Amino acid sequence: MKHSLILGAVAAIGLAAGAASANTLEDVKAKGHLQCGVATGVPGFAFTDADGEWQGFDVAVCRAVAAAIFGDPKAVKFTPTTGKTRFTALASGEVDMLARNTTWTFSRDTDLGFDFVGVNYYDGQGFMVRKDLGVTSAKELDGATVCIQTGTTTELNLADFFRTNGMSYEPVPIETNAEARQKYLAGACDVYTTDASGLAATRSTFEDPKAHVILPEIISKEPLGPLVRHGDNEWGDLVRWTLNALIIAEEKGITAANVEEMAKGTNDPEVNRLLGAEGEYGKMIGLGKDWAVNAIKAGGNYGEIFARYIGEETPVGLARGLNAQWTQGGLLYAPPFR
Amino acid sequence: MSNAKSVAFVATKMIPPSPPPSGSVGPIHWAREHLFPTPLNALLTLVSIAFVLWLTPEIIRWAFIDAVWKAGSLAECREIARAAGVEGSFACWAVINERFNQFMFGFYPSELYWRPILAFALLLVALAPVLFAHLPRKMLIFSAVYPFLAYWLIWGDSLWAPLSAMAGFAVAYAAFRALSGGVVQLGLAAAAAAAGLAAVLWWLFAASSAAEAMQAVLPLSIEHVESAKLGGFLLALILGVSGIAMSLPLGILLALGRKSDLPVLKGICVAFIEFIRGVPLITLLFVASTLLNYFLPPGTSFDLILRVVIMVTLFAAAYMAEVIRGGLAALPQGQYEAAAALGLDYWKSMRLVILPQALKISIPGIVNTFIGLFKDTTLVSVIGLLDPVGIIAPMRADSNWNGIVWEFYGFVALFFFIFCFGMSRYSMYLEGKLKTDHR
Amino acid sequence: MTNTAIDTSNMVVSDEVAVEIVNMNKWYGEFHVLRDINLTVNRGERIVICGPSGSGKSTLIRCINRLEEHQKGKIVVDGIELTSDLKNIDKIRSEVGMVFQHFNLFPHLTILENCTLAPIWVRKTPRREAEEIAMHFLEKVKIPDQAHKYPGQLSGGQQQRVAIARALCMKPRIMLFDEPTSALDPEMIKEVLDTMIELAQEGMTMLCVTHEMGFARQVANRVIFMDQGQIVEQNEPEEFFLNPQSERTKLFLSQILGH
Repeated sequence: MKHSLILGAVAAIGLAAGAASANTLEDVKAKGHLQCGVATGVPGFAFTDADGEWQGFDVAVCRAVAAAIFGDPKAVKFTPTTGKTRFTALASGEVDMLARNTTWTFSRDTDLGFDFVGVNYYDGQGFMVRKDLGVTSAKELDGATVCIQTGTTTELNLADFFRTNGMSYEPVPIETNAEARQKYLAGACDVYTTDASGLAATRSTFEDPKAHVILPEIISKEPLGPLVRHGDNEWGDLVRWTLNALIIAEEKGITAANVEEMAKGTNDPEVNRLLGAEGEYGKMIGLGKDWAVNAIKAGGNYGEIFARYIGEETPVGLARGLNAQWTQGGLLYAPPFR
Repeated sequence: MSNAKSVAFVATKMIPPSPPPSGSVGPIHWAREHLFPTPLNALLTLVSIAFVLWLTPEIIRWAFIDAVWKAGSLAECREIARAAGVEGSFACWAVINERFNQFMFGFYPSELYWRPILAFALLLVALAPVLFAHLPRKMLIFSAVYPFLAYWLIWGDSLWAPLSAMAGFAVAYAAFRALSGGVVQLGLAAAAAAAGLAAVLWWLFAASSAAEAMQAVLPLSIEHVESAKLGGFLLALILGVSGIAMSLPLGILLALGRKSDLPVLKGICVAFIEFIRGVPLITLLFVASTLLNYFLPPGTSFDLILRVVIMVTLFAAAYMAEVIRGGLAALPQGQYEAAAALGLDYWKSMRLVILPQALKISIPGIVNTFIGLFKDTTLVSVIGLLDPVGIIAPMRADSNWNGIVWEFYGFVALFFFIFCFGMSRYSMYLEGKLKTDHR
Repeated sequence: MTNTAIDTSNMVVSDEVAVEIVNMNKWYGEFHVLRDINLTVNRGERIVICGPSGSGKSTLIRCINRLEEHQKGKIVVDGIELTSDLKNIDKIRSEVGMVFQHFNLFPHLTILENCTLAPIWVRKTPRREAEEIAMHFLEKVKIPDQAHKYPGQLSGGQQQRVAIARALCMKPRIMLFDEPTSALDPEMIKEVLDTMIELAQEGMTMLCVTHEMGFARQVANRVIFMDQGQIVEQNEPEEFFLNPQSERTKLFLSQILGH
């Protein structure tokens, strides 16, 4: 289509004239929607439903941010990004934020020029075996055949773990999760290792998920969280505190159902501050009084989102584990809201 | 020679033609000749037949007899199948059933499905006169207008945008007429260059304001659908059809440029072709999706689909140029000379004598490039565009359907096979039709 | 060879100059292929050019319609000097018909389309009229019934006659023949030569590179012998064949006539 080239060139020149400023929030408000980079498909975290709507644990963060800004969880457009395009999409300004299974590491936070605003899922590499093997600990896996994705950090972690424990293993190299699933089910390997969330999602697709166990050992740290570009701290604050608001909401028992009610005022001053009944906290991040109410209303608090997309009641079936509130023995610990 | 008495001989009668002996024709002879000529070949034939006989029922059982066509999730599929007494694997087509629209249109608004469907139907109308020479030539006018119409149907928004883009061609034509014969007398090449420049200037500076002005005077617009909503086969067809439609003319120009006597032109064409051919398509796609963003000012939304169409087109054009150059090289020098000796100028001899023959020779290569291009469009899934292959990932990530593999890829493969096989058959039809040496 | 008596009543040579070549030189790279060619052809003249292979005779006539470019000297065709001006070249080419050794018909077009292509696209003749002209010339070369076939379906002799008709459709004032019978089976040579003789009888200016000495005797009013890129000898056919002057010519004639 020749004309689209032309129109595109026209559009490019036209838009070049009105180049964006460094204030992401203003740009987002001017656009009228949030542009959010998500994964092209990770079970429970980012997927499309039958109506073609993006759903998932990561997607919910985008919707909460959109709701905080616009009061409308649908005021967000999604850019599917692959592992290869995600960072350039964010760096180039194609997306305003990224919420897609990205591990927070030193170099990504510093050298690549991003700011991780928090952790929405603490993941780590685990092992899955068939129950009838009778294995209860990863330390009993000496001599096992292991399905392992080649060329990833999981491969290095695996080697380290077996060496430190003085065990040997036989690797069965695979390329994709789908291939691993087939091989593992066909008995080509005793053990499948990848991130625990991935193991759970894979297990959920088996005909008989109960015949397989995920061993308790987690051999690596994979803190996954949303990230924004370096250099616009106001925008980073907004996303960070939207995520924190969801976590605080769970801690304080604020849910999508009762948030309206609680916004009218409670005995808890922190809740009152968060929901705008007290003070002008929304203004500090350039938003309205009810920003947190809208964010929580969008998909519920952290716990509700977790339960809806990846919790134990869902096919993915992940336990809270590390992702429980600090009061429940987990790592979720939002700074105080005041 | 013992009986070398005389070499004289005269035929006393002419021998009439007679049919070949029995046994050297017919199916039995054919089978003996082709299937069982030697014991080894006979063995291979039998093994192959056995393999096909073993595999076919298995596939039919999997895909049809034991398949589940309606269910809400993979688990439900399994329940239904087990209840029906199916053991072993089976196809759960329910997922295709549920996600059919996403496969077809991506996330295109469902109430607007008629627009891409209409665009596709009109595509067939626009293609017909191009593909079949016996249809009235007047239909080609519609084919020329079609790209603009299709753009408007699929992306929507103001009708004046594609119209003003189209006006660029009118501007170019008017400039060409004025400069080449009317007002001023310039050489043909200079006039053509000036006309091209006029069109580019129009597109850069006047087109969008003209469209806006017209829109203000007479609003003619339908709901805008943004590129991010395009996906599935709709996206594959947009990429494939526009890439194919643009890469052929561009490839022809590059091939002619490469054979040109003008060293600068020739150098540019050679450098372009060699550079593009020397780089994998996936690299170009990454350039389109990521690098270009760095060059363009931040906040510029130079449409990703457009960027990809350009890259795919350039890539295919470089290959096309070499295929056509092969066709040009295969023509005897005498054809060029005969055309020149009749007084045909360069463009006329190319258009009337050289290209029709060179393109005919190149048909298998051209269609081969087309098919390759069409299948290569699936590479865009790597840069996050949700083409039929890319859109599988978010579908599989839905916990209802996680675990389904074969059904998705089988369906996509079937789609691509239908289109590619169609192209291949058409090319054979065309080759037969254009065969003029012994008929 | 054709032995029928030919009608010479129209074969009149006028004083008007059709082609004038003055001190023309041409090189292929370092190779000096044409050396100081001087040749004047009057309207109505029929010239046969012969010589051993590599003597430059084909190159000479290909220079006349600029299929080959000369580097030195002057060529004037129909009063127009050949320079690198494309407009002059196209004009001259449309006035000069050429027939090639390998026919060079356009295989993707029918016989009729081959003949109407140039009149329609160069002369801007309306299609209907161009087809009438084409049929006229196809009748003249005696193959009107093949008009809707493709070149590949015709015999070599028929194809060469179509090639002549195709050139004639442009109503050329000069015809160049570049070994028109060399690629033909012996039994087809006659039909092509007959066509050429007929053309000569109508007074067409012709330059023929050929070794058909019978043809040269019958219709040529001048025979040119070339060797090593230069014109070695030219004369009227009778004199040329009976009384060659140069040793090179004698040797050449003894080789092609002496079998």
